[in-house]
Amino acid sequence: MEMFSYLMATGISTGALYALVALGLVVVYKATSVVNFAHGEMFMLGGFLAFTFHVMLGWQYMVSLVLAVVGSFVLGIGVDRVAFRPLMQRQTLVSVLLCMVGLSFFLKGLARHLWGGKGDYLTFPPLVSPEPMQFGGIMIMSQQLVVLVACGIVMAVFMVFFKLTRAGRFMQATADNPKAARLVGLRVDRVYMMTFGVGAAVAGAAGVLMAPLTLLYPDMGFMLFIKGFAAAVLGGLTSIPGALLGGFLIGIIEQMAAGYIHTGLQEVAAFIIIMVVMIFRPTGLLGGSRRRKV
Amino acid sequence: MQFFLGKRTFLIVLFGALLLMPSLANEYHIFIANLVMLYIILALGLNMLIGFAGQLAFANAAMYGIGAYGAGLLMKHFAWPYWAAAPGGMLIAMAAGTLLALPALRMSGIYLALTTLAFAQFVWWLMTHWTSVTFGAGGFIPPPIDFSPIPVTQEIGIYYLTWVAAILLYLAAKNTMASSIGRAFVAIRDGEVAAESLGINLLRYKALAFAISGFYAGTAGALYGGMLGFVGPESFDLLQMILHKAAVVIGGLGSIIGSVIGGVLLTVSVEITKELKWSIEMAFGALLMLFVLFQPTGLVTFIKRWVPGWREHLQYLPEREAQRSIDVEASVEDVGITSTDESAQERRP
Repeated sequence: MEMFSYLMATGISTGALYALVALGLVVVYKATSVVNFAHGEMFMLGGFLAFTFHVMLGWQYMVSLVLAVVGSFVLGIGVDRVAFRPLMQRQTLVSVLLCMVGLSFFLKGLARHLWGGKGDYLTFPPLVSPEPMQFGGIMIMSQQLVVLVACGIVMAVFMVFFKLTRAGRFMQATADNPKAARLVGLRVDRVYMMTFGVGAAVAGAAGVLMAPLTLLYPDMGFMLFIKGFAAAVLGGLTSIPGALLGGFLIGIIEQMAAGYIHTGLQEVAAFIIIMVVMIFRPTGLLGGSRRRKV
Repeated sequence: MQFFLGKRTFLIVLFGALLLMPSLANEYHIFIANLVMLYIILALGLNMLIGFAGQLAFANAAMYGIGAYGAGLLMKHFAWPYWAAAPGGMLIAMAAGTLLALPALRMSGIYLALTTLAFAQFVWWLMTHWTSVTFGAGGFIPPPIDFSPIPVTQEIGIYYLTWVAAILLYLAAKNTMASSIGRAFVAIRDGEVAAESLGINLLRYKALAFAISGFYAGTAGALYGGMLGFVGPESFDLLQMILHKAAVVIGGLGSIIGSVIGGVLLTVSVEITKELKWSIEMAFGALLMLFVLFQPTGLVTFIKRWVPGWREHLQYLPEREAQRSIDVEASVEDVGITSTDESAQERRP
């Protein structure tokens, strides 16, 4: 029972991070029909920016968090300007994806160049004391609890932004029907740009929140990208609640598989889930049926 | 003019130089020349899948690894001779490639890209973690290869084997893509529904595209294991994936001769990057981006425009040009019907 509750707690708190990564992917995919291949790098650079501000410059964690989120927002806009906008006009998905792959490798190499060589792991100081807490017989690391709460806050802020603000409604309208949005006078290109920025900002926030739990290294982006994508696909890729549900499920499945079957499964659970979902239920748990366009 | 600058002359000079390489250069240069040929094979296989059939798959590095591991492990565990193990590895890679066509039937674009990426990472994980079979992250040394009737060392033997394989695979790729198979691939790339309505069996041709590219990558893998005398997972990671993509894009998507150019240039530029101690990730990430953005059809269109004698049967017509090409010019001329069709002949400028 103790093991189960421990795995559950870890699963839920890492799952919350996956949910944030998946959220950014889904928001961008819904609006643009493109999966941002450099999304993992937004996450990774968010963590590294926070490291720079918090550890190297010694600023407060909250200040660093805000700055890192702003930084990844700008990076997301960069992805839009470099890879999406110039290539989408030519209407080829293959070139957009190839360009994003190139960009993601470039950013990864840049992070390695700026923050240390291959195999160099950076440690991020813990936010609160690493003592575990008791909750009616369930042990939980206070660190994980903080991350979980913070993820909840980020999700809530995002939901408020997406549902209630003008910018969020622009994004919804564009995602729903880009042509109609253009007809009623929205500047669709700007909305796309903002969507990329917001998606990246959410990923950057996740990166900052994850940093105190684990070590920082340039390759972490790809791993989180794959896990976020697994979560998004499990939830249906076009559904925001689906992405959140998928994130928590991936986190829990991964921990359970690692705890009860084999530790190595933690790394591959996401790959297996992607392949299984894609082959047997490509629409995911909550996604609507995909129409085949002729 | 065409005789001196044409495609054929370029290929004869390239493969002639590669043939003479072992007697002229030192060991390191022979190694690089061998890598050049391997990347030509890899780029040819990947280009047929992405450039011709339009299937954006990310599993080429995994197929490369499956070929190398397949051949090496058959030699190591079952003591097969290289002459049986290498075809074995090639066929295993081909079978794995064909399996990937199953998801490709139901999905395309992003879904396919990420499913194959997940598959590639899964294969990589197996290479590093399935220690009892694959010897884990440290890799293994396959038994030496016996060229017994011919008095050559393993390096030179593999070198010439690769040379022969590269020429044969180039010719096979060129002729297959000029045949009805190549035209079917291009039709699928330009519109699946349209291709299906023309009577092209999607299942068969997609499976074929994946099988061909798996076979090419597997061949390169089996040769790579023999060349290096060592097989380890770090040779088949994500970096390989981007290098293969870069070779195809630099040379020219949808151009067989472009893949030859891409393979040569990529290997040379990787060595230069290493020499200058630049970050390979940054250099090739940036190179891939720049080519996709500013020269999406690769260097080969540039050559085709300025040098005579570089025409190919099916030309890659990107994006808007593909829309325009519905006019007679491109569609009739490139398929090669012109010689028999009188009316089309007249309309040519």
